[in-house]
Amino acid sequence: MNGLHGIIFTYERRGNLQELGSIRSSASIPFGGRFRAVDFALSGLVNAGATDVGIILHGHYQSLLDHLGTGKDWDLSRKRGGLRLLPPFNYKGEWGAMPYRGHIEALTAVRTYLEEIRQDYVVMMDGDLVANLPLSDVYENHLKSGADITVVCANDSFMTEDGTYFQVGEGGRVAEVFVSPHTPRGLRGLGTYVVSKKLLLELVDDCAAKDQLSWRGDVLQARKDQLNIQSYIWKGYAAQIRSVQEYYDRSMQLLDPAIRADLFCAQRPVRAKNADLSSTYIGSGGKCVNSLFGDGCSIEGVVENSILFPGVTVEAGAVVRNCVIFKDSIVRKDAQLSYIIADKDVEVLPGRTLMGHVTYPIVLAKGSKV
Amino acid sequence: MKKECIAMLLAGGQGSRLYVLTGDMAKPAVPFGGKYRIIDFPLSNCTNSGIDTVGVLTQYRPLELNSYIGSGQPWDLDGSTGGVHILPPYQGAKGGTWYKGTANAIYQNLGFIDMHDPEYVVILSGDHIYKMDYSDMLARHKAANAACTISVMEVPWAEAPRFGIMSVDGDDMITEFAEKPKEPKSNLASMGIYVFSWKALRQYLIDDENTEGSENDFGKNIIPSMLANNERMAAYRFAGYWKDVGTLESLWDANMDMLAPESGLDLRDRSWPIYARSVSAPPAFLGENSAVAHSAVNRGSVLEGVVENSVLSQNVTVGEGAAVRYSVLFPNVEVAPGAVVEYAILGEGCKIGPGCRVGGTPENTPEGWGLTVLAPGCQLPEGKDAKAGIMLNRNGEEVSK
Repeated sequence: MNGLHGIIFTYERRGNLQELGSIRSSASIPFGGRFRAVDFALSGLVNAGATDVGIILHGHYQSLLDHLGTGKDWDLSRKRGGLRLLPPFNYKGEWGAMPYRGHIEALTAVRTYLEEIRQDYVVMMDGDLVANLPLSDVYENHLKSGADITVVCANDSFMTEDGTYFQVGEGGRVAEVFVSPHTPRGLRGLGTYVVSKKLLLELVDDCAAKDQLSWRGDVLQARKDQLNIQSYIWKGYAAQIRSVQEYYDRSMQLLDPAIRADLFCAQRPVRAKNADLSSTYIGSGGKCVNSLFGDGCSIEGVVENSILFPGVTVEAGAVVRNCVIFKDSIVRKDAQLSYIIADKDVEVLPGRTLMGHVTYPIVLAKGSKV
Repeated sequence: MKKECIAMLLAGGQGSRLYVLTGDMAKPAVPFGGKYRIIDFPLSNCTNSGIDTVGVLTQYRPLELNSYIGSGQPWDLDGSTGGVHILPPYQGAKGGTWYKGTANAIYQNLGFIDMHDPEYVVILSGDHIYKMDYSDMLARHKAANAACTISVMEVPWAEAPRFGIMSVDGDDMITEFAEKPKEPKSNLASMGIYVFSWKALRQYLIDDENTEGSENDFGKNIIPSMLANNERMAAYRFAGYWKDVGTLESLWDANMDMLAPESGLDLRDRSWPIYARSVSAPPAFLGENSAVAHSAVNRGSVLEGVVENSVLSQNVTVGEGAAVRYSVLFPNVEVAPGAVVEYAILGEGCKIGPGCRVGGTPENTPEGWGLTVLAPGCQLPEGKDAKAGIMLNRNGEEVSK
């Protein structure tokens, strides 16, 4: 069967996300006022015609499971194929004890699933990539170039935690691969790879036989001369959400209309779970500028340069500047917040003042009361 | 499979008093409150009341409504043993007819109801905005051992002649029914929501069908003949918000009510959610120079101008220097920079060109003030105005209300 199969990796722990990442996998981190990070990979796959997507999970995935449900929000609740959740139940005897040490180890753990893939090609993606990639174009390029593996790169060397960077030679072929370098150089990898099912199985089996665990080290680096690894350069917005600072900076970029036009382009809509809330209400005393609002917010105070998720309340006299406020949080009257990332269900009591800095945004943990 | 109670939703009405807004769609499909359609209210009430089987009787321009309802999944009405069923008129071996009246519409679907073999049937309209627990009404019906229970609400005496009015005894059992009486004996108005014991209703529907000259209407025929036969008829008092949005003015009013929960219409109350089919769009963006006050906004919207006392649906744009006041904007409306929209209802996809003036305030309109209404898809080119009180069709031509 022709077409694309998607595999999304969501097992990685990102310590630099602090409280945002300690209660959920980074794939289910809320982003952009109504989405979760994984929505972008899922929507990208579905928009490229993928009907079957597997999600590799490992630890702290309750939040992700709640979000994904049966996959119906992405049209992935199907009789054949659709969404397949792949928790670590079949991991060699030690289930759930230790996170996967690399994509190859994770893929080995779901070997039987890989065999059942109905499509000839597989797109592997990271669950924490926020980008609206034209995957059908990537796929077409992969076929045309005759590559064994196509890696999708951003057109920059932006530093991200545990990043992958590619030096690209003539004709776009990958010449060098850097894993987690101190000083990034080359093109920033977006953790998105196209490979045929056949080759993927061969690589997984070969690596398993040699006790190799890492896709980046044991496949991309070690076999870059044997395999034809081609690059696909994506010039649009591409955020990898791996630290609080990165989360904050990348979020604030969405206030730029050009970035929004790129990330939410009409040809490839980003689908998300619906919150079933009413319209957002801006009251008579509300003063809201340069900000994004999810559904069901109720605003009587001042909101500037901020991103509010669904169901946020800002009472009269409260001031919210340069903040990201997650679902159902409440800012009581006369409270003042700036450079704050408030997780879900946070309550900031009347008159409280909390200030972070643009280089040091402060995270308020889920459910905390200030 | 046997069900205790199912609902039949009358959604075939043309909604002629909504004029151009229902030119291409049935009234229940008309947008409301920024993110809903009118039909979301009865459908969500059913789900929240534990009714999982709903027949929707459609007849007039059903395309929009049918595609909106789809599988019923947004309202949780896609279960394997119930769910939402679209019931259009059909041809049988002996031919078929359009639904002649509300009672005839149910009569033509006896088979559908029998298939579920219910004890009770709730009859609902597709043009009311309200939140009601039908299970509470059903409890009243059972407690009163009634054949029919009608939900009623107190209306101001002066307005009573506009409604179907019920007189009741000390036990709130209905003794008399008068359709739009000149001299009302009571101020209890029927809300057009009925619970019937199916066995009783079934017989009355058959008898009514065989009665020559009957208009086959619940209010005009079925209820009066049940009363005449001394059936037990209970009133169910409802005290919350309820509005028939069958006219342009009442539709506008109800939208304004939704902005102020004091009106009784609190859509933010999470204990009784109103569900809607969702649209894929990013969150709403309020720009650097926007000034939005006492208004509802929805996803996909980009607002750069002034918005006051208005209800804006999804994917609405309001350009810089533009102003929208006391208006209801349906999805995908574009208001270009410098345009002014006041006291207007703009249908889906209307485009208001730069500097256009649409509608006006009652204060600035000495004569013949009224709401200004633009049909879905209507485009006003730069500099063109639409005066207060007029209505434009899809081609931008004035039509009379």
